[in-house]
Amino acid sequence: MNIDVLKKLLPHPRWAVISVPYLWLLLFFAIPFLIVLKISFSTLAIAMPPYTPIIEFVDAAVTMKLNLTNYLALVTDSQYVQAYASSIKIAAISTLLALLISYPIAYVIARLPPASRNIALMLVILPSWTSFLIRVYAWVGILKERGFLNNLLMSIGLIDAPLKIINTPIAAYIGIVYCYLPFMVLPLYTNLVKHDHRLLEAAYDLGAKPWKAFLRITLPLSKAGIIAGCMLVMIPAVGEFVIPEMLGGPDTIMIGRVLWSEFFNNRDWPAASAVAVVMLILLMIPILIFNRVQQREMEGRLT
Amino acid sequence: MAAEPSNGTKDPARADKVGVDDYLRIVDVRKEFDGFVAVDDTTLNVRKGEIFALLGGSGCGKSTLLRCLGGFERPTAGKIYLDGELMNDLPPYERPINMMFQSYALFPHMTVEQNIAFGLKQDGLSRDLIAKRVEEMLGIVQMGRFAKRKPHQLSGGQQQRVALARSLAKGPKLLLLDEPMGALDKKLRSQMQLELVNIIEKQGVTCVMVTHDQEEAMTMAHRIALMDSGRIRQVGTPDEIYEQPTSRFAAEFIGSVNMINGRIQDDEADYVTIRSPIFEHLIHIGHGISGFEGQEVSFAVRPEKVSIGKDEPAQPYNKAQGVIEDIAYFGSHSVYHVRLPSGMKFMANFANLQRWASEGLTWNDKVWVSWGDNAGVVLTS
Repeated sequence: MNIDVLKKLLPHPRWAVISVPYLWLLLFFAIPFLIVLKISFSTLAIAMPPYTPIIEFVDAAVTMKLNLTNYLALVTDSQYVQAYASSIKIAAISTLLALLISYPIAYVIARLPPASRNIALMLVILPSWTSFLIRVYAWVGILKERGFLNNLLMSIGLIDAPLKIINTPIAAYIGIVYCYLPFMVLPLYTNLVKHDHRLLEAAYDLGAKPWKAFLRITLPLSKAGIIAGCMLVMIPAVGEFVIPEMLGGPDTIMIGRVLWSEFFNNRDWPAASAVAVVMLILLMIPILIFNRVQQREMEGRLT
Repeated sequence: MAAEPSNGTKDPARADKVGVDDYLRIVDVRKEFDGFVAVDDTTLNVRKGEIFALLGGSGCGKSTLLRCLGGFERPTAGKIYLDGELMNDLPPYERPINMMFQSYALFPHMTVEQNIAFGLKQDGLSRDLIAKRVEEMLGIVQMGRFAKRKPHQLSGGQQQRVALARSLAKGPKLLLLDEPMGALDKKLRSQMQLELVNIIEKQGVTCVMVTHDQEEAMTMAHRIALMDSGRIRQVGTPDEIYEQPTSRFAAEFIGSVNMINGRIQDDEADYVTIRSPIFEHLIHIGHGISGFEGQEVSFAVRPEKVSIGKDEPAQPYNKAQGVIEDIAYFGSHSVYHVRLPSGMKFMANFANLQRWASEGLTWNDKVWVSWGDNAGVVLTS
């Protein structure tokens, strides 16, 4: 057999490389998502698993029944709407706080001499080497009624009675900002470290005072880093469960907790799946917008 | 900043201090970095409206001196006056000085227009005034068609025009150019050099440029300061520096040169002779110099002032016989490297005035090199 014919029949070797990430996405994203999507259209049942199949083969007829109750409930039941709104609000505020804290950190690290940069970055990343759960527990210890923070503030006489922080939304903000800070610092740093210092000198040279040069040059040029960092913080923060559960108390309603209680407390898999699907769609919108903007920028660069 | 009427009449109190010749005064400026002396007690005056080049190899301190003028470095000691005003304590954003940066430092997120308007906006000018000035600048550098483009959509030459327009837009008292041609290819370079000079001269702005390229300095500048290890070795017009170098360094840095070390044998009022151990014949200079008999000197003569031929010249001095070892053919002229009996390599240019003229001389030919009485200079330092 002619080897060229065989070559034509077999896929090009480059597909072996290209397919790896796609296979990964298919296996760990697309298929699980389709399963969740399927469950969200089914009906709750006392069974194992606890939902009815959506496609049935009875009396030589294939029937597909899409149950939209779960989705309708999301729109009509104000508890869900509030949970979504509150999740997005908490995530947005946390993202903003993380940005305000991270920008100076990233800026200073990017201006350090190259040898010290890695050490500083290490210090930012190092806490992530401990288990996430343990770190959140540590915050419980710090923030609780007779915790480290209150004891410290009282011992130096700043306050008389312990502050009520734990089990309030404030504790949830602290937890989220703390845990996601590295995800904001790193993209900002990668962006800021590439900035050409001469651009700032050029701005000074043309009469811009340092703060104005920052606003007109550094800030707009770090837009991509800001957007990337905000995405990396905002998206997981919206679905965050552990932090609001452990630090936020009952007043901090987030969609992750609703999802949890639907799934584990109510054992309502279809409702939980619908919540998850809607959350995913809500998060997709900003990602798509971001991609569109970035693409336009890339195209602008090429033409 | 002291107010100054636009008609150019100087503040009478300052009139004695600021003349045309010392518009920019650099007085004993010294810049050290962690004990390393980058600029060593440099004093320099630049005339109003002049294009002045700081020329030197890398690390000679020329860029540091330029950054001191721009305000990006603070001199360790010394003073810088521009138009009679002390610049030392002014930050870059308060100096009436603008710089065209090496590789231009155009703002990548702004259009050509916005780049040029940036400096004007910092002055808080009105929108109309800015638009007018931007248009004027775009016209001067012939970039009107590209006003809405971003810098990355422009070629190197176009970027340079924008950078020049941006640095001229505010009408600075002093324009600084940092390696202005560094980012351009050779062909574009020679074209832009002349264009840049035309624009700068038309604007009448005083200009200090930094370059390591002697050709660039000689093409563009009215005067050149030759720098080496933080010190200025010689200041002069391009032809002065080329034809009348005052030191071995200057002679060797600019162009190529044949350097012969020897001792003064006769030191007369109207001529000098030098005896060199590596030279069979005497070196004869047709004018007197300030030296003394027996003084160790170098004699420098440029290859284009050396004739080469197969016949022995009639003059009893300023000649040597050798063998052609290398020939570099440049089209317009050829450079012959002649090995003298002493081992010294002597360069002689041969202008190819006729086609195939260089074919008469070839490798391993025995030839004579010679030069006239006033072809070279005697260097004592």
